[in-house]
Amino acid sequence: MSNAIDQTRRMLSLVTYLRERPGAKVSEVARAFGVTEAELIGDLNVLPLCGTSFRGGDLLDIDTDGERIWWHNPGTADDVAQPLRLAADEATALLVAARAVADLPGLREQDRQALQRAAAKLETAAGEAAGASGRLSVTFESEGSVFATVDRALTERRRLWMRYYSPARDALTEREVDPIRLFAVGHTYVEGWCRLSEDRRTFRLDRVAEIRLLDEPSDPPRIEPRDLSQGLVQPAGDDPEVVVEVGPGGRWVAEYYPHDSAEELPDGGLRITLRTPDPASLRRLALRLGRDGRITSPPDLVDEAREAAVRALAAYGE
Amino acid sequence: MAIAKAERLMNLALCLMNTRRPVSKRELRTSIEAYHEVTSDEAFNRMFERDKDDLRELGLVIDTVESVDGEFGYQARSDRNRLPDIALDPEEAAALALAAKVWQQARLAEAASGALQKLRAAGVPYEDANSALEPRIPAPEPAFEALMLATRERRAVAFDYRKANAAKPEPRQVEPWALECWRGHWYVAGHDRDRGAVRVFRLSRISGRVRVRGAFTAEVPDHVDVREAVARWAGDGATAATARIRLRRGSGYPLRARAVTTEPVDAEWDELEVPYGHGLDAWLAEFGPDVVVLAPEELRADVLDRLRAVAKG
Repeated sequence: MSNAIDQTRRMLSLVTYLRERPGAKVSEVARAFGVTEAELIGDLNVLPLCGTSFRGGDLLDIDTDGERIWWHNPGTADDVAQPLRLAADEATALLVAARAVADLPGLREQDRQALQRAAAKLETAAGEAAGASGRLSVTFESEGSVFATVDRALTERRRLWMRYYSPARDALTEREVDPIRLFAVGHTYVEGWCRLSEDRRTFRLDRVAEIRLLDEPSDPPRIEPRDLSQGLVQPAGDDPEVVVEVGPGGRWVAEYYPHDSAEELPDGGLRITLRTPDPASLRRLALRLGRDGRITSPPDLVDEAREAAVRALAAYGE
Repeated sequence: MAIAKAERLMNLALCLMNTRRPVSKRELRTSIEAYHEVTSDEAFNRMFERDKDDLRELGLVIDTVESVDGEFGYQARSDRNRLPDIALDPEEAAALALAAKVWQQARLAEAASGALQKLRAAGVPYEDANSALEPRIPAPEPAFEALMLATRERRAVAFDYRKANAAKPEPRQVEPWALECWRGHWYVAGHDRDRGAVRVFRLSRISGRVRVRGAFTAEVPDHVDVREAVARWAGDGATAATARIRLRRGSGYPLRARAVTTEPVDAEWDELEVPYGHGLDAWLAEFGPDVVVLAPEELRADVLDRLRAVAKG
């Protein structure tokens, strides 16, 4: 029933907000509260049923014609319409996020200072509720100068040139990219239209070896940004299947690689089935695993990994 | 038809906030329609206790006062519930709006927007988050919420934990001091009761439920640096140890980026000195025939061991 709690939270703030702004527009209130107009109307249908003493009859008198919202309560509602202190959850959520974002390398200095000022004021206003927020922290990783260059390219709508490292091929490639947006999920990434592959690509900033702002304007095709709510790696249904069998020491593979299934093996290991558009990129995984596990399918990849190990051993005279 | 929970909670909150004296449970039951409808005393008591907890979770301070005749009265005093004045300029308001959007964890995402709603109700200007950057804090680990609450309330916890290279989870009892998200993963640091020492746990390796186990017994240090502890373990910290390797020209860019020194050997190979921490052997093995380990001997042996296992197939 967390919805009822969130709705209560919102309605308590609505009472304060509406009292200060009689005749407020439905569209504006919905925007300020981050809800749809339909959700807001839902709240406005409940509020007139609420009062300081229902059976006594002193209900909140709030009504709307669908466009504007009217507040008719006399002064007696003062105590219920005052701005409310922040809950521990609320103070924690906002302060931890503000500190994490303020520490992002490459954030525009002006934005960083505004955020630091806002966090300091918020901490003071939250009082006790802010006390435990220091026990939670988030660090975003990113390369400061690379970040600043991408940020500038986005603001000035200019194309980027970069040398980018691909771990799958252990190689650097040169690309021209029209940036679309920056986002951070653990690491910081730029999503953009890659002029080399004529396709949408996501680049991790710590893998950018070199970056330059070009004079050409950025002109990415209109595309929907990727939906990140399901995680960063979203293999397609028709990608080739790879099977990895690991012992207990290789169970971490299931944590790092999104997979279709992970079946327990009698020795405490796992049989992990995953899909990837480029199975050759898993050669590195095969070499890394050593005696902790091996790739069992597809056969090409099995052979490739074995040959690479044999060639590597030759350099040690084996 | 039963009255919706949100309406019931609202009425309880408004009654408690509006009163100038503590009101008894009996008075609340007669004045709030949703309570009036509940016929059994036991069901009403349960509902009332839960509702009070829910309102406290939303930040309402509810005082409990015992009157002379032994009856409890409840009141949410306005001086204890008022948000102190906070004045943010449009730039600061926009910065906070950006911060409010970063949580992907449901509870904290709702809490962050709830905080913003309270601030806007209090007169903070409405400004859209205006930035090219979209930071996101993921927290998909099922143990996250329970550990966050335990860390906040300073409660010990018990959970089953599987070490990176262990097949089966083991029960652990921990007094959680701090939670940290680093490189997209959550870690908790605290006092491990069975080991009597500080330990760091990765949340994704916790299985099953996190149970609460009473108050802390060990002293909490003034400063807990989870990230430093994790980084030290991963060999990312400033350790003095280095390894010498040969790397094929044009390959292994991340090794080059971290190298302390890089010297060409011939047309094909370079010689590098790289920081030597936990996991370097596995990482070097990934490069297969493009890396040859020169020193130290134990690292060379570890890499050879991995390669031999793969060569056997």
